[in-house]
Amino acid sequence: MMDLTKGQWVKHVVTHPFEGFEDLRWKKGGSMKISWFIVFLLFFSVLAYNRMYGFQYYSSYDKIFNLVPYIFQSIIIFLTWVVANWSMCTLFDGEGTMKNIFINTAYALVPYIVGSLLCTFLSHSLIQDEYIFIQTISIITECWTVILLISGQKAVHQFTFGKTLALIALTIVAMVAILFLLVLVLTLFQQIAIFIMSIYTELSYRIRV
Amino acid sequence: MINWKKSIAAFSAAMLAVTAMTASVSALEAYDPYSYDRWKDAVPSQVGYVAAYNVDGRQMGCEKLVEPTDMFLAADNLMYITDKAGEVEINGVKEKFPSRLIITDLDFKVQRIMTEFNYNGQTLTLKNPSGVFVSEYDNTIYIADTENSRVIHCDQDGNVFSLYEKPNSELYPADLTYNPSKVVADKAGNVYVVVKSVNKGAVMFNKAGEFLGFYGANRVEATAEVLSRYFWNLISTDEQKANTIKTTPIGFSNFDIDEDGFIYTVTESTDTDTDIVKKLNPRGYNIFNNANVNNVKFGDYPPAYYSIYTKETSLVDIDIGENGELNCLDFNQGRIFQYDKECNLMFIFGSTGEQLGSFKSPVAIESYEDKIYVLDSRKSNVTVFTRTDFGDIVTTATNYYNKGMYEEALEPWKEVLKYDGNYRRAYIGIGNALYNSGDYEGAMKYYKTAIARDRYDRAYEGYRGDYLRENFDTIMTVIIIVVILLLILSDRKKKGKLDFKRMFENMKREEVRLK
Repeated sequence: MMDLTKGQWVKHVVTHPFEGFEDLRWKKGGSMKISWFIVFLLFFSVLAYNRMYGFQYYSSYDKIFNLVPYIFQSIIIFLTWVVANWSMCTLFDGEGTMKNIFINTAYALVPYIVGSLLCTFLSHSLIQDEYIFIQTISIITECWTVILLISGQKAVHQFTFGKTLALIALTIVAMVAILFLLVLVLTLFQQIAIFIMSIYTELSYRIRV
Repeated sequence: MINWKKSIAAFSAAMLAVTAMTASVSALEAYDPYSYDRWKDAVPSQVGYVAAYNVDGRQMGCEKLVEPTDMFLAADNLMYITDKAGEVEINGVKEKFPSRLIITDLDFKVQRIMTEFNYNGQTLTLKNPSGVFVSEYDNTIYIADTENSRVIHCDQDGNVFSLYEKPNSELYPADLTYNPSKVVADKAGNVYVVVKSVNKGAVMFNKAGEFLGFYGANRVEATAEVLSRYFWNLISTDEQKANTIKTTPIGFSNFDIDEDGFIYTVTESTDTDTDIVKKLNPRGYNIFNNANVNNVKFGDYPPAYYSIYTKETSLVDIDIGENGELNCLDFNQGRIFQYDKECNLMFIFGSTGEQLGSFKSPVAIESYEDKIYVLDSRKSNVTVFTRTDFGDIVTTATNYYNKGMYEEALEPWKEVLKYDGNYRRAYIGIGNALYNSGDYEGAMKYYKTAIARDRYDRAYEGYRGDYLRENFDTIMTVIIIVVILLLILSDRKKKGKLDFKRMFENMKREEVRLK
């Protein structure tokens, strides 16, 4: 029973929102490789959604193209979620390891990625009046991802439903805190870099004279 | 990939061409001509109007203009200029001038100068008038005699019909000053007076001089401050309310009336974007208060590009051109913004400074056919702008376009693009012509270049319909083949091998079941 390959496990988990993650946990069917691939796909779907969307729905500001916001919207947010969730679950006596949280979250994102890629594709063949189809698809896939996310959290930490919701809320708070500290650290390092640069400039002028 | 590289090469070539073109033009002008693109960024453009010459008081034949305040071009092609009283030095001799109304022809040769008016045997003089209007229906003159607190209505010989003085009404607070600055009159002889101290709109009189009320007040822009004041007013007591600052709109500063009797107003304020330019019907309703025009920001988008200073636009005068163009005069930057009658930006020209085509204190604008006249009160002269070839083509194309004659507009728009590849409306114009002729694919291309999303959507709908109709056979064949393949595959999964006979039996059974 349940002797699936790593790829088949993804399908099993996504199509069985309520017991899929439990099976995954007991059979240890998750794969970091596939998870990283899904995170990369998430990045690509965000990029496609912002830059390759049908012109009749959305026109991006073409004078500037900067990858950083898209990396932030996908990979950074994902990693922050994993770290914040792991830090919070240790306080709540959750059973999940960092690796398992990573895998569960990545697998839960599959419907969202598929949905947004599908919407991007459809946006090229539909007109504005038919936007309802795109909207339906995106709402369904987003709800699906949320359900998977909750059930994944529940399975990986072996929590009750209420405790899972509380954990998710606290995770979001922790994410905000982490991102704030990150920005703070970055600014600090920037200041140090500017300081060193100005010392270098000063010295180089002095030496020349 | 190759395509992408090609388009980049083409784009940079186009940019080079544009830079080269504007460089050659700006050598003639005192400023860099520019326009705004879809993203509200300033982009180099071609000049629509060039300053041809300017005329001062000596050239007109009235020795000197002291400080001209307003200019009006009447239907009989005479120019009426109001001038303040003052003392000026001419060839080392100080000379005193009274307040004058100077009437010139279109070449600015003085025809008459009016200083005295006859009112029932009494002689009236002007005191620093700042507005003049001539009715196109009976050719009578209205003068806003500012410091005498009255509007004079007289005929061409200076015989006064009536005076419009401070209204004696409950609606007009007694402690409010009445210094008329601008005046217009409509077909019925109703007189509209802009008074600086009144922010409820123009003061309106009927022909007999009775005060009728206020006309066409601006709306208040819903800023955060206004909203918070509204919120506090809901919960404060009457006593507290009496002590709070009242939220009042900003009064408009100038107006013009068109042939159909619509009154166009401009508001000088730089603090608000609401109701900067309005088109009022006789009931005082703003026709420009619609989804299209409410999105238009009249004047420069902040920060004002193409100048060292980032002063905001402050429109002091408006004039309606022969095709319904709106010529708006910006006092702060000395710029003239010309919009077509649908409020699409056509040209921006003019600047501040000493050179020809730039101003120190522009106060009034008028237009006649392809000429635009701007009165400068500190330079005491009138600058005459003439339309360039580029301006002519754009005007032709815009006129056809606004009449809905898209096919006729096609050639002029193509010509426009030869002059200025940044001119966005040309792409939309060509797109519309192609769309009407059924070339949806071509229209899509032009709409995409213009970033006109909604129009692109419509063109795409047409293109998709055509495509599906033409390729119906192919598409249906592909669908049928795919369906058959899927059936075969699912059958193989069940049985493990291909069995056509059983498959057809299954299909038949299915059909029977469906029936």
